Amino acid sequence: MSEVVRTGQPAAAASPILTTEELTMTYHVGKVDVYALRGVNVDVAKGDFVSIMGPSGCGKSTLLHILGGLLQPTSGKVIVDGENLATVTDAERTDIRRRKIGFVFQRFNLFPTLTAEGNLKLAEHIHGKTGGDSNMRREVLRLLGLENKLHHKPLELSGGEQQRVALARAIVNRPSIILADEPTGNLDSENSDMVLRMLKQLNEQFQQTIVMITHNPEAAAVASRTIEMRDGRVVS
Amino acid sequence: MDSLIASNIRQRPTRTLVSVAGVALGVILIVVNTSLVRGMLSDRMGREKGLGAEIQFSRKGSSVISVSSILSLDVRYGDRLKQIEGVENVSPVGRYVQRSSTGFGIEQLDGIDFDSYQAISGLKLISGRPFQSENEVMIDDFKAAQSKLTVGSDIPVFGQTKKVVGIYTPASGSRIKMSLRALQDAQSAPDKCTFIMVKCKNPADEAIVQERIDKELPGNIVILTRDVATGFGRAVPGLDGFIRSVLILSTIVSTLVILIAMYTTITERTREIGILKSLGASKSYIVGLIEKEALAISFIGVIAGVAGAGLVTFVLGKSTTLQLEFDWKWVLIAGIVGLAAGLLGALYPALRAANQDPVAALSYE
Repeated sequence: MSEVVRTGQPAAAASPILTTEELTMTYHVGKVDVYALRGVNVDVAKGDFVSIMGPSGCGKSTLLHILGGLLQPTSGKVIVDGENLATVTDAERTDIRRRKIGFVFQRFNLFPTLTAEGNLKLAEHIHGKTGGDSNMRREVLRLLGLENKLHHKPLELSGGEQQRVALARAIVNRPSIILADEPTGNLDSENSDMVLRMLKQLNEQFQQTIVMITHNPEAAAVASRTIEMRDGRVVS
Repeated sequence: MDSLIASNIRQRPTRTLVSVAGVALGVILIVVNTSLVRGMLSDRMGREKGLGAEIQFSRKGSSVISVSSILSLDVRYGDRLKQIEGVENVSPVGRYVQRSSTGFGIEQLDGIDFDSYQAISGLKLISGRPFQSENEVMIDDFKAAQSKLTVGSDIPVFGQTKKVVGIYTPASGSRIKMSLRALQDAQSAPDKCTFIMVKCKNPADEAIVQERIDKELPGNIVILTRDVATGFGRAVPGLDGFIRSVLILSTIVSTLVILIAMYTTITERTREIGILKSLGASKSYIVGLIEKEALAISFIGVIAGVAGAGLVTFVLGKSTTLQLEFDWKWVLIAGIVGLAAGLLGALYPALRAANQDPVAALSYE
């Protein structure tokens, strides 16, 4: 039986917006079973800013992908804002992801053929807002200092600007949770600081729940608490 | 979504161009081929009307609408036809089919009795004179203009060279006319013809006269001239099959080009599919996105195809003796085929994209 470490109990007694129970994930590589997660229990309260740290291959990204509904766990529960991702269909998981999750990736993952505004509009369209919410879009872009970059394509932006556009795209539909996979991994220290500062600002000003994977202890320090993982388990 | 489609079309010009060309080719194939068939039938109908005879009489197996060279009807049937009430005049015609002098398709020539034929058809010589020997022919003004022939020009008939001695108008029957006797001699079929033109005293009574002929001379083909062109369309071997083949071939070409182009694009855009999935795009959203893109490309292809078909039709009409008739009904059908081919071709790549594993797609290099 896997070691169970329940972690992340928020200081305030807020109900968790994100919970995993005995989460396991096993990949089958040929005839070999690779255990990526071995019974992970995590609680994240609404408005919490949690960083996940650990060495490469410890299961951080797998956990993040399961939390975001991109992967189906082998066993266990994943409760996102009251809905168990582990028991729903693929289409239902997609729907929950659309309504409740915003992703930020290390490699920005913007659409290269679209402008900054086009990337945001696409996210709004997928969310179901046909014309988009121009006030919300402007507010988000202003908050992230991108008012003058609306009509720039990703290749015309610096790395920091691209990541801010990605962040704007993640929050434009007001998701319950932002999942950030090493958001500063491809940035220099100046841009890293800026992106982390903005994540912190989103968390503090708007009580945005954020779960962030990072290798960088300085980045992790920005979060309100840190989860350590080793060998597919939460160790602290 | 629309801007993503538009930007993908703009940002991938080679893919867009290949796809547009594929759809356009299908549209051109359909429109040009149907224009050819329609032009051929329309031209044929016009020339049959130009005969001036309301009825054409032939033996079974040697229909006037046949494209084979059969002289099997005895010309003496003409005398019997003249005796039937309502018949004013008759003229025997022998029809011969040969490879076109342009090397493109076939052409027919008529062996006629000049005087009786002229009396019925109202044929007028605009230059030269009627044929007088077996080595002389007359041609209509269209053929003279298209083939740049004048009185005195040589023209190949039966693999021999004949001399053009007269140019006539209006076009009627075949475009080349020679002496019926010369044709009979060449075909070793003395006193035979292919059909006999029958001129009614009162053209309004053509159906009644047709019935009388059928009754008096049963077992033969008695057809109204106005029905000949329709019958010709049915009689040309495999004409319907040809049009169907063109339609199927065009659809396959367009579908395959779109399929390959979209499949390649989807593979290139695997990571983008992953991003769409991470944003919460459903399978139907992704399929819809790719199908809309294919539809937009196909629409451009259809427009290009119609323009291309117009150009090809114009050039062929100017540079060959082919008669082409642009038909908007077939343009519409070609457009629908082009759009449908685009949707069909993009379906497999779209479904494949929609079913991609999002994590694998996001890590695609």
